[in-house]
Formats: sequence, structure tokens, C-alpha cells
Amino acid sequence: MLNSEVHFFLKEYFTQTGCTFIEETAGSLAVKLTPELDKELMNRPFYWHYAEKTGMKGEPLSLTLITDQQKAPEELKGESVHVGTSRFHQIFQSAKKHTRFVRLYEQNHNQQQQPLHPWLLINVKVSYEADRKKDLYYSLGLNLINGLIQDDFMDTLYAKSLVSNIPDYSFTITPLIKPASGVKRLQRFMAERIQQENHSWAAQAHKRWMEDIHLLQAFYEETEEKPDAYFIEKEALEKQYAPKIHVNIINGGLLYLQPVH
Amino acid sequence: MNVEVLFDQEWGEELEKRISQDGPWGNWDLFRSTLEMEKRMMVPSFEGLLAPSFLPELTILPHQLEAARKVIEEMNGKAILADEVGLGKTIEAGLVLKEYLIRGLAKKVLILAPSSLVSQWTSELNTKFHIPAVAQKKLYNWDQYDIVVASVDMAKRSPHKEKIYEQDYDMVIIDEAHKLKNPKTKNYQFVRHLKKKFCLLLTATPIQNKLDEMFHLVSLLKPGHLGSETQFSQEFKKGKRQVQNHAHLTALMNKVMIRNRREDTGMEWTTRKVESIKVRFNEEERVFYECLEHFVRSQPTEAGSAFSMLTLQREACSSKEAVYFTLQNMAQKLFTDQASFPPEFQSVLNAMEKVTENSKAQKALELVQSINDKVIIFTEYRATQLYLQWFFKKNGITSVPFRGGFKRGKKDWMKQLFEQHAQVLIATEAGGEGLNLQFCHHLINFDLPWNPMRLEQRIGRIHRFGQDKDVHIYNFSIEDTIEDRILQLLYEKIDLFKQAVGQLDDILAKMDMPDLEEHLTDIFQHSKSEGELQVKMKNLEAVFELADDWKKGEDSIAE
Repeated sequence: MLNSEVHFFLKEYFTQTGCTFIEETAGSLAVKLTPELDKELMNRPFYWHYAEKTGMKGEPLSLTLITDQQKAPEELKGESVHVGTSRFHQIFQSAKKHTRFVRLYEQNHNQQQQPLHPWLLINVKVSYEADRKKDLYYSLGLNLINGLIQDDFMDTLYAKSLVSNIPDYSFTITPLIKPASGVKRLQRFMAERIQQENHSWAAQAHKRWMEDIHLLQAFYEETEEKPDAYFIEKEALEKQYAPKIHVNIINGGLLYLQPVH
Repeated sequence: MNVEVLFDQEWGEELEKRISQDGPWGNWDLFRSTLEMEKRMMVPSFEGLLAPSFLPELTILPHQLEAARKVIEEMNGKAILADEVGLGKTIEAGLVLKEYLIRGLAKKVLILAPSSLVSQWTSELNTKFHIPAVAQKKLYNWDQYDIVVASVDMAKRSPHKEKIYEQDYDMVIIDEAHKLKNPKTKNYQFVRHLKKKFCLLLTATPIQNKLDEMFHLVSLLKPGHLGSETQFSQEFKKGKRQVQNHAHLTALMNKVMIRNRREDTGMEWTTRKVESIKVRFNEEERVFYECLEHFVRSQPTEAGSAFSMLTLQREACSSKEAVYFTLQNMAQKLFTDQASFPPEFQSVLNAMEKVTENSKAQKALELVQSINDKVIIFTEYRATQLYLQWFFKKNGITSVPFRGGFKRGKKDWMKQLFEQHAQVLIATEAGGEGLNLQFCHHLINFDLPWNPMRLEQRIGRIHRFGQDKDVHIYNFSIEDTIEDRILQLLYEKIDLFKQAVGQLDDILAKMDMPDLEEHLTDIFQHSKSEGELQVKMKNLEAVFELADDWKKGEDSIAE
């Protein structure tokens, strides 16, 4: 992955979480953390516990991250960060935690009464998994009034201007479909969609599984009573090869949008 | 095909909670960036390797990348990695592990290594691969940490063993796996009972020419791949040691084993400069050596074979200190008290007392002084190691010892001392495995192992990837002794030092002589006269040469 993508992501993360930038170059970022982020990222619970007990105002730390050695100032001291590092992983996990749910309203540019229809958005990661793995991405929107389901819903949303508080002159229409049952509907939709896909990968994994099972059985053929090792290995083969599909919602939320005419 | 679909329900439940509590709601900009990043982190295809793009600072060589790909795509994550020493098996294992971690196919991982290598594994995984591995210290580590590096010796013992059996491992990596060749041992049984989806067995010792060991190792990885024990014997064994259906067996092995050789890597290697240094015994040493010979020959045959002349003579070529321990043990076993020492034994002791200098050590000192750079000295004997340390100190040369028996921390410490403060590292055989000393370019074999592969492991400490200078190897031997003879046979006749190791394996395999050391011992011990010994050695030489010729013949056909 490109260094610049990582850089952009980190910058967005620190900006949106309210940190102050001390210095930024094309290959580095130095930020003063907020107390909340210090607690999340810097792993010093005792310090914060002490600060709180004594009523002292805790002083958050600064963090210098180098996203590109070539573009960062030579003498700069900092942590090198790329997608493989644990620091990146930690920040990414933190960003995910903070952005699993949104509630947004479409901006109203006219000075007249504007009804907003409720939509449920889910961004989904579907993982085909056996001894190998592949992920697929889906973005779905469900109209909570009429039950219409829209594909690539994020693309629709990118084109809109969305805000976190209800705009003036706008009012929301109460969902006819409860969000919880909306989630269920989208799951059923996903299940049907997945069934229609080509699952030759699963058939292949199954074949590999059966091959190994046969070998295992041949190995213990001469033993009357199968030893523990046989059952352990058999179970391990199932874990390794049995094809399964995991559907995980990455993030999503409620969107109140102007009806399309 | 109908596949089980598992939905994560947690998000829906949490959404309801957020709605009823009116938040907290995420920031839209960060939501979008995080989603984009998540999409970038997805696994786009069943094939290919993602790990390299996650490891921009790591230099991955083409054969290592290919090995990792093959393990995952063709071997379903179960493989024996048997590259020659120094080609980077650890890198290959790290790549495979990283790939599975990135793909989310592995989470809980156990790495078993000899205790001397536990900290090295831990640090390489953390620094080179950004894999948060911890070295096993406390009992609760097994549950608490996902990726643990431990020594087999510790792991197989209670209460650790029971704790480990409770874990469901996604991946198990075993370094120096050639030690797991006997199914009756505790180590073997322990590994057999681990729950593991993916498994890598790392070994530097070629296993192709030891049929039973090969069978047991493969059966640990993939039981049944070579059939049951009976089927295997019927299909592939001919007599005690010979192989039949060789091509079929090779084909099967290639499905579970990767063995890269130096010559296949296409990499430029720094040269090995090998020098044989012959040392002449001084008068006292010569007398001592002959007394030993005389003594052993004077003993009745049973006792004579119990403590072979061979051992004593080999030791005598190293140092009198090495002989002394053996003689002492012998005296306790055979003779009630000093008064009952036979005259031959007494004369050995007298001769030993007269030896005041060690000619080899003297030569080693001169060499070390002239090299004026880091030198590693290997000896087979601990007594020699201690003597050399004392001798060098007396002559103003700083040295550090290294032994297999050292604790993990001490080994790291000694390596560091050698790198930063001492000129010489004196290591015994057991210290050889996994020790990386690329900063050193000179190696003295103070005495020689009879197994050429062990010698290769010694050289592999310094002649490996990352070595940017030519390496100098000095082989010491004493003129007109058993040592000299072995050196001539093994290491000069067939030019073993200059050969790539792969060819050495091939030659040994062609000779159909699973244990060369055993064979040599046999020749020396059971030859009744010097003449018989000469004849047998000549025969062995001929076999070597023939095997070598075959090998060359095959190579030219292949081209």
C-alpha cells in the first residue's frame, strides 16, 4: 500500500479526533494528542488513574509518526508507520471503533419545509473462508419506509452533502420498518445474493479436505481403536478446510435523505 | 455447493442500543476514510501474497517469496521447509505466518524452537515482521497471548503441556524439526497432540536419505501422506537402508517439502576461502599420542571397544585436557585404585604429564594474531574450549565461550560481547544451531566433526545471507594422525568445502550410507591391522569419487 494513503488516513484520524498538529511534512506527522486519544493509544493507565485520583489535570503526550522515510526531514526522530506495523493496526482499530455507527441528515439548501426519509446503511465485508480466503465488499441501503434496497449505497451518499444535526426547515419521517428488522431484511438479502454467487472455491476446498481425510484414514487403517491423535487431526482438518462464509458489518447507520422524485 | 453463512449479529444489536441512547455517533469524514482503508485491507483474491506490501523494510529474496507462495497455494499451509543452512528458512516461515495473519486465517500461533533460539525468533518476528510474538515465560502466557515462542523442552512438560493442549492453534511452527524423528520420544508425542490447522517444520538437515526419519516427520505434518508405516515399508523400503520406487517417493516428498539450494537461488554468494593448516606434534605430544595407541591396543577387546581408541586419539588431536576427562572416567570404571593401573595406562599418564604445550593452540594463537579481526573457533570438546579460553587470555586475546547448554539470555549476551568487545568466540558443537554471526569472516575448525553436514552447519553461522565479505575457513589437523586421514578423505579428496552443500547431500544420498560417521567409526574400530584400515579407507574414497562422478554425469545430462 502506498505511503501516501497511510499518511492521508492518519492525518484524517488525528484531525477528526481533535488533535493539534505540531508539524506536518510530506513524510511525517507530529501531533499533540487529546486526553481521550492518549488513553486509547499510549497505554499508560496508571498515569491517568493517578491524575484522576489526585485531581491533577493530565498532560497528554505528543506523537511523531514517520510515514515516508524519504520525504521526512532527515534528523526527525519518530516512529516509522506503515500498514504492517502494530501502531498502524492500533490506530486503525481505534478509527474503526469510533466510526461503526453514524446518523446523518441531508443538507437542506432551500428555505422551505423538507421531509427526510429514513434509510439504513450497512457496509459489509463478506469473507469466503476455507484454508484460503477472499473478501468481498458490499454497500447496501434500505429505505425504512418502502423497503426498497439499493446497491452501492455509499456511492449515492458520496454525492450528497450530509450533516450530523437536523438542518433548519427539515423534518424526519418516522421509519415504518424498525432499524433492527431492517438489519434482518438486509441479512436475508445478502444471504440470497451470496447463494447466487459461484462457489467453486468451496467445492475445491472440500475436495482438498476429503483428500486429507482419506490419507488420515489410511494412516490409521491398521489400528483397531483410533488414538486421540486421530481425532485431534480430524478436527483440525475440519477447521482448516470446511468452507464457510462470514458476513461482517464494517460500519453503517441511519441516514435521513430527501426523497428522489 | 451449499456453504454455511455466518452473520455477525452484534452490529445490529449495538445499533438498537445507540438509537435508544441517542448516540454516540461517528464522524462522517473519518467514517469514510476508515471505510476506504478497510476496503484497501481486504483480501482481494484467494491467490497471491499480501505480506510483502505489509513489509516494505524487509528484503525478501525471490526464492523465499516463491517458497511462501508455494506453501500457501500448493501445500495448503503444511510444509517442511528444508532449505540449506543460511538461505533464510526463518524469513520464509515469517512470510507464511504474516500472510495468514493478514488474511485473518491465523490468530493463535505457537512457535517451538530450541531454547537457544527462542529470543532470536521473538525478536525477528517483532522487528522484521511486526508480528507481536512473545517469548513464553509464565504459565498464563498460553491463554493471554496469541503468538507465543517457546522451547519444546519447556512446552512438553507439565503444567505447560496441559495448558497447551487446551489451546486451539491456527498455526504451529517448529524449528529444528529434524529432532522429531523418533515417534517414541516425548517431544514427538507432544507435537502429535497439538491442535493445528497450518504447520511448518523447519530443518536444515536433509532427511531424504533417512527413510524412517522422513516417514515420521511427514506423518507429523500430514499423517497418511506417505501411507501407513506398513504401506510405506512395502512400497519404498528395500532391505534395511535402500530405497525403491525412488521417483515416486521424490514426487510425494516434493508435495510437502521445499528445499532450496544455494545454486538454485541465483544469488551472488561471497566466496569461501578454505585453507588446511597442518600442525606437527611436538616431541612430547607425539610420545603421548603413541602411548595412547599402545594402551588401547593392549586392552582386551571388550574393554577396548567400550572406550574406543578412536575417541581418545581424536581427543588427543584436540588437547590433552580433552583426553584427561575420558581417561579419568575410564580409570574409575576399570581400575580399583591407582596401584592397580596397568603399566600401559601408567605410561599414558606419565607421557601426558610431560606435555606442556599445545601445538595446535599455539598455531591458532599465531593465526588469530595475524588475522587481527573477529574469529570464531569451533571445537568438539568442552575441555578444549576451556583450555583455549585460558590460553588466549594468557596471551592477551579476549575471548568468549559459547555452548548449547547456556541459557537463552546468556547466549544473547555472549553473542553481543563477541560482537562488541571480544576478538574470539570459542564455540562447542551444540552452540552451532541458529546462531547468526555475519559480522565475523574467519572461522577456525580446531578439530573436525566426522559428519560433513555438521561442518556445514558450523560454516553456515558466518556464510549466510547478509554476509558481504568473503569468508575464510581454516581447518586444523595434526600431521600423521587419524585426524589428518579424515581430513584428507572427507574434505580434500572430494573437495567438500568448495562444493555447494546441495551436492554434498546428493553425494551422501548416492552413496546410500545414511550415517557416514557411524560407518567411519566402524572402519576404524574394527580394522585389525593398519593394512586393513588402509584398504577400507581406499574403498570409501572410491565410493565417494564414484558418487561424485554420477552426480556430475547427471548434472550434465540435465543441462
